[in-house]
Amino acid sequence: MDRRTFLKTGVLLTGSVFFNRTPLKSQDVTSSNLVIVKNGSPAQMAEKTFELLGGISRFISKADVVLLKPNISWDRRPEYAATSNPELVSAIVKLCLNAGAKKVIIFDNSCNDARRCYPNSTIQEVATAAGADVRFVRENQFIETPIPGSTSLHSWPIHREVFEVDKIINLPILKHHSLSRITIGFKNMMGLTGGNRGRIHFPFAEKIVDLNRVIIPHLTIVDAIRILRRNGPSGGNLKDVENLNTIIAGTDRVLVDAWSAKVFGLDPKSLDYLQLAHNAGMGEIDTEKNPPMTFSFT
Amino acid sequence: MKKQPLSIKIRRTAQLVFLALFILTILQATYPFQPWLPPELFLWADPLAALSTQIAGRFFEPLFLIALIVLLSPLVVGRAFCGWICPLGTTIDVTDHWLSRKKNRSTRNLLKIKTVVLVLLLLLALFGIQLSWLLDPLPILWRSLGIIGMALFFLFSEGIFNGLYATGIFSDVISNLQDKITSYLFPLSAPKFLNLLIPIIIIVVILGLAKISRRFWCRNLCPLGALLGLVAKFSPLQRFVNQESCSSCAICRKKCKMDAIEKDFITTEKSECILCLNCSRDCPEKAITYSFHAPTRMQSSVDLSRRSFLGTGIAALLSSGLFAITGINPTKTNRRIRPPGSLTEDNFLERCIRCEECVRICATSGGCLQMSFLESGLAGMLTPIAKYRLGYCEYNCNLCGQICPTKAIQPLALAEKQEWKMGTAFFMQDRCIPYRLNQDCLVCEEHCPLPEKAIKLTTKEYIDPETGTKRMIHYPYIDSDLCTGCGICENKCPLEGEAGIVIYREGEERKIA
Repeated sequence: MDRRTFLKTGVLLTGSVFFNRTPLKSQDVTSSNLVIVKNGSPAQMAEKTFELLGGISRFISKADVVLLKPNISWDRRPEYAATSNPELVSAIVKLCLNAGAKKVIIFDNSCNDARRCYPNSTIQEVATAAGADVRFVRENQFIETPIPGSTSLHSWPIHREVFEVDKIINLPILKHHSLSRITIGFKNMMGLTGGNRGRIHFPFAEKIVDLNRVIIPHLTIVDAIRILRRNGPSGGNLKDVENLNTIIAGTDRVLVDAWSAKVFGLDPKSLDYLQLAHNAGMGEIDTEKNPPMTFSFT
Repeated sequence: MKKQPLSIKIRRTAQLVFLALFILTILQATYPFQPWLPPELFLWADPLAALSTQIAGRFFEPLFLIALIVLLSPLVVGRAFCGWICPLGTTIDVTDHWLSRKKNRSTRNLLKIKTVVLVLLLLLALFGIQLSWLLDPLPILWRSLGIIGMALFFLFSEGIFNGLYATGIFSDVISNLQDKITSYLFPLSAPKFLNLLIPIIIIVVILGLAKISRRFWCRNLCPLGALLGLVAKFSPLQRFVNQESCSSCAICRKKCKMDAIEKDFITTEKSECILCLNCSRDCPEKAITYSFHAPTRMQSSVDLSRRSFLGTGIAALLSSGLFAITGINPTKTNRRIRPPGSLTEDNFLERCIRCEECVRICATSGGCLQMSFLESGLAGMLTPIAKYRLGYCEYNCNLCGQICPTKAIQPLALAEKQEWKMGTAFFMQDRCIPYRLNQDCLVCEEHCPLPEKAIKLTTKEYIDPETGTKRMIHYPYIDSDLCTGCGICENKCPLEGEAGIVIYREGEERKIA
């Protein structure tokens, strides 16, 4: 065993202590598990989202270290809707810190150079100003992680913070994607992984579900304030951007993606990965049987 | 360390200041690009680069007028540039200190080589062959510190940071510190350079010549030194020996870095003396002083006889002729992708001095530019070409054209660069996953940065011949008119080794000078 393997193994063992963490179960709580908030400012909508979900104290405890995962994957200005809404990111950071979180960590293993994506998406600036710890991702931070119960992806390098933080909040942006037709919460978790990520694309549905077996967010908040209709996920054409001014959030990540797909105009059941995730017992897919609590500011 | 007289202290300080300045200019060549000192400064001040590129490329670049100051400086202070300013000279002084401390052989009979080198270089430039990359000290040092130095620095800094991070102690502090440095200076992961061995060999040989004598390069080989030496013949600043006090101890002659002192210990070869002032320090009789006097015309050791000038001319003619008739197999240049804004190939080769500024700044932003080997022939050695399995051309980046000192890569506005065609992508259907395995993949399409993606999809039903099951597959194809050849598709293709989508230079745009 060389030095590198030795160190890696050590980290892996340490990580495995935190490995048995399970997400909040829906029966733990009495308030709604899925909310859709519309037509407010990003900060207003973020606050309302947590309020309707039963208060932020349901998710954030005193001294929690929170990993907030927006999409900062592309070197685009925020108005191109390729990256998460910076005002929403900033609002959530502030809410977490006000609720007593010790630290809010933000990073994304971006597709373009992170040194371009972070500033150009403006997330680096606004999130830092809000008090978050915005970091770059480095290859040495990934841990080759076995995926129990996987069907296609048996192990993959996953960022070590995933196993070290107390809470994970997934903050994807709702976008068109040619392969998965739409990219929401499940796909956003790819930004916490390393390796040759292109390989996750075939077969995509099985592999993205497998990845989400070990990366388990406590809460998913979908940014549908500006959505990308075509030429996703990188975008680059303002004509493809549509203002929906909507947030979809909840603890059931399958249901959140399902409702987001519905908001986008797709039948959730037609999405292979969602069907697979549902069959794997990761959450509900039926939007008819699981209506959201909705709120509109106008 | 011996106590040095003030004059030596001043000279050494000047050397270190200019070397530091040189390194500072190199450090400017990075993304984010906010230079407070132009990275090209020393190259614009290089009369040899100014002559060789403007002669070869038949153009005039006003910024090269800075080089005129250096070229004319010997009319006042002799070859002081070599002894006081040239950062390669300073580097050689430092390495000489380790490598040739006690050895300082006389190499008098080799002095003329540098004039031959100079004449050869300029004559070949006249025929459009650029040899500055191999012979001009400033581009050589720029790429040695800028590329080799960068790679080495990374190797160690990343090793140290990774080691510290792996201990798990203060990992937050360590990664924060690394992030801070990264934000201003370095790319996120260690840059990798192809053909790094070639510039390494060049600089190692130059520095290693110290084993023969001190400043061997500057004395005998450096064409810039020869050029300044020719002007220095008319320098009024001269070394004077008080003949009454001189005891003919020969210390000055033995110790002279440049072997510039004649056998009488009195006469100084002005085209060789670099005004380092060591002799006045070392003279036990304190008989040596420097002062200004009207120059007297004299035969200089750098002057070439008509015979050797003619010989050099014939050699240049022959070799450029051979270059001209040496064919390059066109299929070998298939993937010779030039940076956006590059001049037409011949013009590009005439102007590119291989300082590798573009390669360095690209390594901090996208990382596709690499030093070529023989992809564009022998004349194209070390010129920048895009190697897309190592990086891609960042859609929002136009930095290579911003910092090319000779404008071999013309500066492009960002909007123009974003539409600039470096080449065209082609699918290798026997490698590409959808075509080969009848499975969806589309990683290339996902990354295409164009507002209207150049990778389009046809959706066809595929029936598995064994099981009879049907599925819909997206087969990608290229819209060649839209594709700019930025190569992010080739870079991100998940296949191991060669990608399933490859950029060829078909359809490449070039600037006309």
